[in-house]
Formats: sequence, C-alpha cells, structure tokens
Amino acid sequence: MKEVATKSDGFWRNEIKIEKGERVLLNAASGKGKTSFTHIVAGIRHDYEGRFFIQGKDAKLLSNRDWTKIRSTEIAFIFQDLQLFPQLTLLENLKLKSAITNFTTEKEIMSFVERLGLSTHLHQQAGILSMGQQQRVAIIRGLLQPFSLLIMDEPFSHLDAENTRLAMELIDERRKEQNAGFVLTTLDPTRICEFDTELFL
Amino acid sequence: MKLIRKLLFSREAKWRLLVALPGVVIGLVFLLSALHYSIRIKEYGKASEILNENVLIIHRKVIAGSTLKLTKTDFTTSDLEYIRENDFVVDVQPIESNNFRVWLETKDEQIPQFKTDVFLQAVPDKFLDVKSEKWRWQNGDRFVPIIMPRDFIVMLNTFLSSSGMPQLSDELVQEINFGILLSKNGKREWYNARIIGFTNEISSLLVPVNFMNYANEKFAEGQAGKTTQIMIAAKKGRFGELETFMEENGLEAKKSQVLISRLSSAVGTLFLVLMMIALVTVFTAALVLIQYLQLLMSNNDYEIRTLLRIGVSERLIISRLSGFVLSIFGLFSVLSLLLFVIVKWKIDDLFQTGGIYLNKEFSYTTFIGFSLVVVIFILASFLTARRGVKQRFR
Repeated sequence: MKEVATKSDGFWRNEIKIEKGERVLLNAASGKGKTSFTHIVAGIRHDYEGRFFIQGKDAKLLSNRDWTKIRSTEIAFIFQDLQLFPQLTLLENLKLKSAITNFTTEKEIMSFVERLGLSTHLHQQAGILSMGQQQRVAIIRGLLQPFSLLIMDEPFSHLDAENTRLAMELIDERRKEQNAGFVLTTLDPTRICEFDTELFL
Repeated sequence: MKLIRKLLFSREAKWRLLVALPGVVIGLVFLLSALHYSIRIKEYGKASEILNENVLIIHRKVIAGSTLKLTKTDFTTSDLEYIRENDFVVDVQPIESNNFRVWLETKDEQIPQFKTDVFLQAVPDKFLDVKSEKWRWQNGDRFVPIIMPRDFIVMLNTFLSSSGMPQLSDELVQEINFGILLSKNGKREWYNARIIGFTNEISSLLVPVNFMNYANEKFAEGQAGKTTQIMIAAKKGRFGELETFMEENGLEAKKSQVLISRLSSAVGTLFLVLMMIALVTVFTAALVLIQYLQLLMSNNDYEIRTLLRIGVSERLIISRLSGFVLSIFGLFSVLSLLLFVIVKWKIDDLFQTGGIYLNKEFSYTTFIGFSLVVVIFILASFLTARRGVKQRFR
C-alpha cells in the first residue's frame, strides 16, 4: 500500500494483513499517515495507489451501500476529531448512532455513560462539553454498534490516565463480547494497552 | 430517526421559503384554472358545433343583387343548381322549414309554464355531426329530439330568473320535458320533446328531417315552403373561393357561426397564455425550493458527511432531505387545490352570469397536468438530494 500524500517508508509499500480479532497498534509520529490509513480502511478516503481488500473484496469495487453496511455492522470508528454533532445533546448523539442498528439497549447506553463519568451531562449539548468529555462520548458512540474491527484514531489524546483506563476497560469488554480486533493509532504506546501486532510508519 | 430531522432542519431559516411558497400557490392555482378552462372552453365551442367541417349556412343579403337577380330572399331549384356547378362545392341542400304554426312549451313540474311560437328547421344528416343516439325520428314516434340555438338558453334563463327560479346549466336544460304543438287549419298534434344538444350555428329549433317531412306533408298540405337558407359543403382548403363566390353573388353566412368560434378561440388562447405564465411561475418557485434544498445540504455539509461516516444510509438521508421540501410543496399544493376550487366556483359563476354555461365538472386532464407538475418536482428534488448526498459520501 502506497500512501499518496506522505510517500514515507514503513508499511505503506508493503503487504499487511489484519486477522479477525487481532489487536494492532499503529505507532508513528504526527504526519506519517495514521489517520489516512484509518480513513482508507473505513472507506472514507479512496485516493490511494495499490490495493486494499476487506473480507476478500477489493475496497475500490465496493458500492456506497456496501460501505454503509460495513460502517454500521463491521467496522466501528472512534475519530481523532471526534465527529460529534455539537448541536445535539450527549444522549442524542448516542441515541442517533444506536438507532442505526438497535444493537445496544438504552439501559446499556446509560451504563456506559455512567462508567465513563458522564451521567450528569446527559442533556448538555455536545458542543459545550470539555474536550475530554467529548472524547469519552465519541468512545461510547463507537461501541454502540456490532463490529469485528474497531478503529481508534488517537482515542485518548484528551484523557487523563484514570479515564483512559476506564475507557480501555469498556472497549476491551465490548470487543471481547464480539471477538473483535482493533487498530489503535497513537503517538505514545507505553501506557495504553496490550496488543498482538505493532506497525510502524 | 427523528434526531436526523432535528439535526438537519432545526437551525434552518425557514423564512427563506416564504419567497418561494406564494409563487407555488399562485402558479399552481393559475395553472389549474388555465388548464381547466382551456379544456372546458374548447369543449363548449365544440359542443355547439353540430355542422360538419367545411359546412356553412348561407342566406341572401337582402339589399344585394346581381347574377342571381336578388330581388327576392329565397332560393329556387335553379339557384341551387347554379351554386352546385362550382368546382369548390361538394354539396348544396336547402334547409327545410315548417310551413305551419308550431308552439313549444315546458311540460315539467319543476319549471314554470313557458310557451312560445317557434320556427323549425331540418338539415340533411350528412351535413351534421350529431353523435347522440336520440337524434332520430320515425313515423309513429311520440318523442321528438330537438337541437336548440344556444341563445334560447339565455332567453329561458332570463325567463326563469324573472320568475324567481335558479338559472339552468346545459345539462339541466336537457332534463326538462317540453311539448311541441303542430297546428294548421284546426288540425293539432302534440309531441313530447327534449333538447339533446345546442348550436350556435342555427337560429331555429332543429328537428330530424323525417319529422319535418312528415309534419310538412300533414300540416302544410303539400304547399312547398320557401327556401331562405341553404347549406353548402365546400371542399377542404377552398373556403376562400366560396367566400369570394358569396361576395360576388350577394350571399352571406350566419355571423354568429363565425363569431362564436372566434370568441371561443380567443378565450382559449387567453387561457393558453395564462397557462404558460403559470408554468413559468411554478417552475421559478420550484427552482427556489430546489435551491433551498441545495443550500440546506451546503449548510449541513458536516452533518451529512458525519452521518454517512457513522453508518447512516444514503437512502435515509436522501429521503429526509427531499421529504422535507416535498412535504412543504405538498402542503402548498393541497392549499392550491382548495384555492382552485374556490376560484373555479367564482369563475363558473361569472361565465354563467355572462350566459356561458360551461361543464362544471372537474376535468381529469386538469388533474393529470397537476399531477405531472407534482411528479416532476418530486423527481427534481429527489435527484438534487441524491446528487448532494452522493457527493458527500466519499
């Protein structure tokens, strides 16, 4: 795979394969193409050379409908820039996502909110929450759908160590329930989690 | 997915739609009215034309005189032969008239009694374009079908109005039972009669030729009546030559025959122009709504992209976006339909006051035209939303 913008060495020019349930750490400095990689995997970007297969199918041949199905049932995403809806409340952001697949009950949603310490902000607009709180909302939102791969693009960048630990516990729990793997991009791998494969850019 | 609606539409300044919506309403009301009345007026003109194409009723100009020695107002057999010899003439026949007294009176409990002397005429069937199966008479029949000059309805309605009765439409007049009394030298015969159609082309009551022959034989006792009007069928495209011939020989056609069709054609053209203006108005208003949809998508660029990224289907977003403008368009279309009903009621009233009795039923073609406009708008808004969402998918 050859990334257009950076053309840096690393896995961009090599073949890599992520198995179901595999935990992958993507370790690179800023600007090396971590986000580009995650966006390609989620079908958001298509401006790459080389080939990318998802469940044996060439990603460039997938239709929008295929990508919608993949995004709602196969690949969950926690975005680096969060991608919340600032005009909706915390709860509305979560309910909107949950309504796509109805995979998670409202009781479960409330339990996740409580575990990450957001119960008192349920009805506040997402746009006025702190960055740390917004990041936790984005993490919960990513876990409300069925998935076999969870993509996390610097998901803890605004969290302290304790909140990172709580979030990682929740992520691990949901991931194990579905025997899913993850791709985690980070600038600092030392304090986060266990993984099976480490990729460098 | 109420949240998607809240997300996409809650911040939009809906006052922008106020620019487009009066246009939608005015345009659609104009369009419906123009379409409806173009059809009805065309029908009205057609319904009054019982003569075949290229047939004219001719009489003499009383003051003119030349080749045919016009010191008289009737036509002789040799006059008819002289006309028939012309290359552009297909056929010439006299219009037969009654040579005895005839009264027409209403014989209906719903209608006040009305009795008048009338003048009957009969025209060979080959000159007529009457489709009604009732247009026939055989010896022994007690029922006589009649075709009325349209002026008669105006007269009848004036009479009804002065008697404090509501005025009658074409359809209702055809439901009235009439009686015809034939009389001469103490002999009298009653017949039941009904109006089966109207004409602007003939000024007297038209009856089937069989009935006229029977009545003339029985009541006129063999005295041949004078032929004051004749029918000429000209060859297609050679009406000009006929007009020149008529001018040279002191003949003329019935003016109202020409006048009514010109009037009907002028009013029809007027509604056609109105229809074009209405179409432009609706098109412009629809364009503003489509631009509003594009603006909506542009203002919600981040929201649409994010919804797609978290797994919301294109189809759902497209249906929400196009559904929003369609629901507004639909609401105002219904309002336009209601307004059209009111406007139609008023215009029908105006026509009736002016003595023009149009068919008051809603025409299917009007609603087909209206549906076509709605379908085109549905398609345009759907395709606009589809294009906008697809552009934001990748």
